[in-house]
Amino acid sequence: MIRHIVRKEFTDMIRDGRFRWCSILVGSLLLVSLAHGWVQARKAHEEHAAAQATAREHWETQGEKNPHSAAHYGVYAFKPRLALSFVDEGVDPFTGTSVWLEAHRQNDFLLRPAQDATAAQRIGALTAAQVLQHLVPLLIILLTFGAFAGERERGTLRQLLATGVGWRELALGKALGTSGALALLLVPAALAGAAALVMANPGPVASPVARGVVLACVYLAYFVAFLALSLAVSARAKSARTALVFMLAVWVVNGLVAPRVAVDLSKWLYPTPSAFEFARTVEREMATGTETISRPDMTESNERLLAEHGVERVEDLPINAVGAYLQESEEFGNRIFDRNYGALWDTFRRQGLLQEALAAAAPSIAVRTLSMGLAGTDVEQHRHFATAAETYRRDLMRQMNGDMTQNSLTGDFSYAAGAELWESVPPLEYEAPSLGWVLGNRILSLAVLGAWLAGAVLLASAQVRRAEVA
Amino acid sequence: MTELQEPNSGATPLLEARGLSKDYGDTRALDSLDLAIAPGEVYCLLGPNGAGKTTTINLFLGFVAPSAGQALVSGLNVSTHDRESKRRLAYIPEQVMLYRNLSGIENLEYFAALGGQGSLGRERLVEILVEAGLDGKAAGRRVSTYSKGMRQKVGIAIAIAKKADALLLDEPTSGLDPTASNEFSALVERLRNRGVGVLMATHDLFRAKDTGTRVGIMHYGRLVTELSTAEIGHADLERIYLEHVRDNGASP
Repeated sequence: MIRHIVRKEFTDMIRDGRFRWCSILVGSLLLVSLAHGWVQARKAHEEHAAAQATAREHWETQGEKNPHSAAHYGVYAFKPRLALSFVDEGVDPFTGTSVWLEAHRQNDFLLRPAQDATAAQRIGALTAAQVLQHLVPLLIILLTFGAFAGERERGTLRQLLATGVGWRELALGKALGTSGALALLLVPAALAGAAALVMANPGPVASPVARGVVLACVYLAYFVAFLALSLAVSARAKSARTALVFMLAVWVVNGLVAPRVAVDLSKWLYPTPSAFEFARTVEREMATGTETISRPDMTESNERLLAEHGVERVEDLPINAVGAYLQESEEFGNRIFDRNYGALWDTFRRQGLLQEALAAAAPSIAVRTLSMGLAGTDVEQHRHFATAAETYRRDLMRQMNGDMTQNSLTGDFSYAAGAELWESVPPLEYEAPSLGWVLGNRILSLAVLGAWLAGAVLLASAQVRRAEVA
Repeated sequence: MTELQEPNSGATPLLEARGLSKDYGDTRALDSLDLAIAPGEVYCLLGPNGAGKTTTINLFLGFVAPSAGQALVSGLNVSTHDRESKRRLAYIPEQVMLYRNLSGIENLEYFAALGGQGSLGRERLVEILVEAGLDGKAAGRRVSTYSKGMRQKVGIAIAIAKKADALLLDEPTSGLDPTASNEFSALVERLRNRGVGVLMATHDLFRAKDTGTRVGIMHYGRLVTELSTAEIGHADLERIYLEHVRDNGASP
């Protein structure tokens, strides 16, 4: 019996002009956004690869100079884009994707497209993730708000139920029939996405396809939850118009209101300093130290070295005391950075956790979080790369200061290293976190989305049982 | 709660109401209705709006629960055997509503399948539609192009395809032109001759006399009189109807 309901719902829907036009519109936007995202991702990858190669070449061919000068010369690190970033660009346009690694400083990321975007671009930038998170649910609402309420108004529901068909069979058939019609739109998009994924540069991750499969499952769960919710409302609403208005309100709250409220609330509860305040605090602490982190003193440093080597004058040291002091200063700076950036990242994490919890009010928050996570464009993976880049910077500084310390003497300002040293510094080989790491970080979002899915299905089941014929 | 009774076996009425009542809040929409419809019988329920005719049909369809009494279909209590009782029923409302994007054949196929007749081939479906009076050429057209009369014929076809024991008709000829009404009556007659029991709610005294074997006049939820159509003329029926409706004009 369900087979007949599914077939009828599918046929009825695909013959409906409204479905065709809405599907063409949403499908076109989805395909265009996928294509645009893919082209952008590929372009960014090529630009980053070229820039990375150029930066490396500049590093290796910088000529002979003092290693500490080379440390100031620095290198650029570019955050590699994961293959799935063409689906969801996440926070990358706001956080930036490249950072200059130099001595004494932990610089902010550069290349933030959002900074250069016009106001219209900031509002209107369309990604596949946005289409999937906002327009597909809207399409589901438009297709299902009248599933029961419309049939009740038209009078077909009485005739249907008079045949002996059960409410639950009817609901399941309608859900599957609508899913079948939606599949006409989503399966080609998914295939296009899969093809793009296969053709895309995999990026620094072992299993882009596994990430893609999980991402597809996340969106599938989201759509099923919306479908069940819409059917539940349609079953109980007095009229199709009431069902539509209610579901549109749900859509607005889910997609527009709740995510903004969640962000504002998390910022209010866990405030972060402005970029200016943050920079000023770091600068002040770098200049004076803190109660627990003292700024290194060159005299003390020298005295320690003299004691260690059993000599009385720095000129007699077998190493360069200035290089050792510079490394001490570097490590002092690192502690200041760790203290300030650590607190900042922790605040971001608390904000993120609160936002994930607030997905209980709107599943779009959970889907957005998971989507960015699986695409490798969320804050946590930005932090993962930033940490890797900072670790690389510290190793680089240690190597430069170490070379200066070991291969020159105090007061010898003529020491210069060459290509051999520069080439001995390995390029930054970033390995993105595993799928397990991503999902482990997003357990809360997974749980909330699962709860939404189960809740919506149970609600639909309960509401359909209590529905009235007329 | 009524015990499950054997399905129709000759003596069991196809449709039976036993002290059937329905209250909506303080309003009694149906008051202790007792009636039994045997195979091959067409029982017409007459009465003004609000008399309880549609409530009676809704109770037989299980769309509302009785406040008291039982509605039985082939001996099955509708309240406890919802699906089994509906399997034995066919229902044609005042306005047969169909799916506009589907053809007459597709609509019939769908409703028949839901009614348990899922294996009818296209040829048989067309035959049934033609038997119900629909032009065979129209059968493949989308029903968005159908007139009300054509939709009613598809409704009849659904009832034929279902091979139901009993037929519930709710103002089925309302809004039909005389020709279509006559065709409809002829179809009901054919079903009656096959042993189908029919309960028809109608305002149409002429059609009730012409099509029915018995007539029940309802007023304010009560069955106030029952008549055999073989024993009265059209004028008698009209007179009796008006007498009962006038005499019981005050709301209880």
